[in-house]
Amino acid sequence: MRAYPALALVAALAACARVPAPSAPETAPPPVASQNSAVVALVTSAREHASAGSLSTAAAELERALRIEPRNAALWHELARLNLHQGQPSQAVQFAQKSNTLAGNDARLRAANWRLIGQARTQSGDHAGAEFAFQKAAELEREL
Amino acid sequence: MRSRSFRRYLRHALVALGLLAALFTAYVVYLDVTIREQFEGKRWALPARVYASPLELYPGRTLTPAQLAQELSELNYQHGALAQPGSYVREPDRIELHTRGFVFWDGPQPPLRLRVRFEDGRIDEIVNRDTGEAVALARLDPLLIGGIYPAHNEDRVLVKLDEVPPILIKALIAVEDRKFYEHHGLDPRGIARALLANLRAAGAVQGGSTLTQQLVKNFYLTSERTLRRKATEAIMALLLEAHYSKDEILEAYINEIYLGQDGNRAIHGFGLAAQYYFDRPLHQLTLSQAALLVGLVKGPSYYDPRRHPQRALARRNLVLAEMAEQGVIGTAEHLRAKAEPLGVTERAPVGTSAYPAFLGLVQRQLRRDYSDADLRSEGLRIFTTLDPRTQRAAEEALAARLEALEKQRRIPAGTLEGAIVVTEAATGEVLALVGGRRARYEGFNRALDAVRPIGSLVKPALYLTALTQPERYTLATRLDDSPLVWSEPGVKEWAPQNYDKKFHGEVPLHRALAHSYNVAAARLGLELGVPAVLDTMRRLGVERPLPAYGSTLLGAVGLTPFEVAQMYQTLAANGFRTPLRAIREVLTPDGVPLKRYSLTVSQAIDPAAAFLITTALQEVVQSGTGTALHAYLPPELRAAGKTGTTDDLRDSWFAGFTGDKLAVVWIGRDDNQPTGLTGASGALTVWGRMMARLDPEPLEPPMPETIELVPIDAETGLRADRGCAGAIELPFVRGSAPTETAPCASGPGQGIRNWFRRLFER
Repeated sequence: MRAYPALALVAALAACARVPAPSAPETAPPPVASQNSAVVALVTSAREHASAGSLSTAAAELERALRIEPRNAALWHELARLNLHQGQPSQAVQFAQKSNTLAGNDARLRAANWRLIGQARTQSGDHAGAEFAFQKAAELEREL
Repeated sequence: MRSRSFRRYLRHALVALGLLAALFTAYVVYLDVTIREQFEGKRWALPARVYASPLELYPGRTLTPAQLAQELSELNYQHGALAQPGSYVREPDRIELHTRGFVFWDGPQPPLRLRVRFEDGRIDEIVNRDTGEAVALARLDPLLIGGIYPAHNEDRVLVKLDEVPPILIKALIAVEDRKFYEHHGLDPRGIARALLANLRAAGAVQGGSTLTQQLVKNFYLTSERTLRRKATEAIMALLLEAHYSKDEILEAYINEIYLGQDGNRAIHGFGLAAQYYFDRPLHQLTLSQAALLVGLVKGPSYYDPRRHPQRALARRNLVLAEMAEQGVIGTAEHLRAKAEPLGVTERAPVGTSAYPAFLGLVQRQLRRDYSDADLRSEGLRIFTTLDPRTQRAAEEALAARLEALEKQRRIPAGTLEGAIVVTEAATGEVLALVGGRRARYEGFNRALDAVRPIGSLVKPALYLTALTQPERYTLATRLDDSPLVWSEPGVKEWAPQNYDKKFHGEVPLHRALAHSYNVAAARLGLELGVPAVLDTMRRLGVERPLPAYGSTLLGAVGLTPFEVAQMYQTLAANGFRTPLRAIREVLTPDGVPLKRYSLTVSQAIDPAAAFLITTALQEVVQSGTGTALHAYLPPELRAAGKTGTTDDLRDSWFAGFTGDKLAVVWIGRDDNQPTGLTGASGALTVWGRMMARLDPEPLEPPMPETIELVPIDAETGLRADRGCAGAIELPFVRGSAPTETAPCASGPGQGIRNWFRRLFER
């Protein structure tokens, strides 16, 4: 038990370190929001696998994490990001929506979900839908 | 002349002899090809191996030492020394274990030496005993739950030589072929002995063949015992020995030898025999059990331990005596084993798996992507979602409750049947599937194939249809539960009745669902239109075409328990539909990933409507037709569920979910006769008993931002406040709550008046 905060912190720092530039905040992976060391380890490993191109291993790891914390909205967001990365925009939208239903009043995560929905819709050519999603994201970001 | 004719004869004879030799050589070559084909064919036809979900160990997980110890013993971990992978030591608050290495989808996990410490029913800490480091996550190797074998009447439980207990091999050699490791396929003295005996009896009665000869004989499955047959077998035996090592021959023998008959199913191989006679894997057999199986080689039907236990016992003891005489076992071992009973299970399990119903589902889902031939011969490794602990709890609850119900209600024993589907609410993974009360026996898979009227289980779809129109319907909407007669062309006039045969006048929607009032539901359904309700069912995941009659609204339609689970899954997952999955991954025999069955979700209903219906289904358990659940589970769990009962009490259903698990239970009779059980008195009790053993998580559905809670006066259904006694707080889509205030509500000053009234009226 004592190990988690440290691990979570390490993962969070690792995640922050990967933020590329302020111009592309929507692609920055948020810190792994979990108190569970197993979940943090799995998400960290999934991110590594994803950036190394092992997308299907990454997906398996995220699903493994979801079996441990099925109501963790951040994990569903993570899966949405991965699906977008895998070129599956419609699944990405679904996972982001699922994340939103579990996100409660976490405006930051909901904004990230809407931004991702906007990107996914852009990818699949739904520009009006994308515009709506980006607006939702901007509204939420203003609340922050 | 004579010499010329003699030379001619000689030439003819030589030519004839040459021809004969050529023919014989050709015959031998033919036999060689045949026997090698047989041997290779058997050897390389590897059935797909199917694994359960591996147990994940991580700090924070709900798990007691007793539960972990049980999982370990299911996996045949040895209790005691930790030297070997697959062993453990249990202490009051911790378990030390040495895991077996295993190749998973995402890579291999080497054997680990771990210390797992528990506190308050959870894993507190896992430490790697070699490095002293904390471990965030580790998996046990998964339980092998079965294989997908060739044609059904020729099952096999293939075993590798190193999985065979050495004592069994020693017994086999001691009794059947002492010179196995020395001869070249034939044991001339054995043949001579057999020939002599057969001549004396003027026919073939005695075997005396080597293991190699017996193996050859088994390839052809013939009881013919002519001399020619024996000669052919002898040649083939020599050929086999020339091509293959003793170990390869022994392994083939162990998997091939005929050891019994179960109806039209032949029991071949010691692996299957161990399961057929003792209901356990081969490597778990005791000395006396191994001796019995070896004894059966001589005559599986003559020594059948179920039909002729005396003969079987005598034969087993003869084998033990022979082993003792040859020094394979010591005197003490001999005496102990001899005193043991046969230990054969009363009834034979019908299939090769302890989980035939779940395996049936796996096979159906696999058949979409793989041919039968691939599944039976390519040695694929299939990783499934089965959770052995959930499966055990489901099987136990169904068997125990059906027996108890039959006793309590004087129902003839053995007439009730049932089925259970349990899934993980968020991901749609199938955790357990029970196809009948005798879950270990393959047979009619009621969970997948019994199409039964679902009764009131249809109602959540009906009310959900209403609640997706917040401008027309809310949980507080007053419904009319007064007599109703409905006629439509081509269908008999329909006058729905309530279960209590009463009409309840005006009732709020949430209570009509909680108490499962039929007439109010029917009237609401007709108002919404049957097609709209059917459309909701389709969106929830019901694919079977359903008739659009009025009676459909009250569940006259038939679905399987699995289909019901799919429908309720969408409710349990906050309105997101996920196809129920039994398979996670498929690997080649070498561990190369072939296919992943990944999680997909699709939003089927509006989150606000999903939240409203979930709240209403929680009320079913809290104060409606499902209150009997409180005998099994604490009210704080806030489980949601729905009872279902059909005409004349033929079907008893309960479908419900907690924060983490969804389960559907059906009880009825195979001959479709009445059971005398309602959903609450039958299926619900199975559900409760099962869930109570699974540490379910409380159900706390996330409240969408579009929902607000408003106090409502129970009497009028209007907006209430603190002045109203018995007011309840109900969720509404923002702006849909009643605006009118109930008479009980304290206007300015009313609160004080009420206070005075209470003071003086005491």
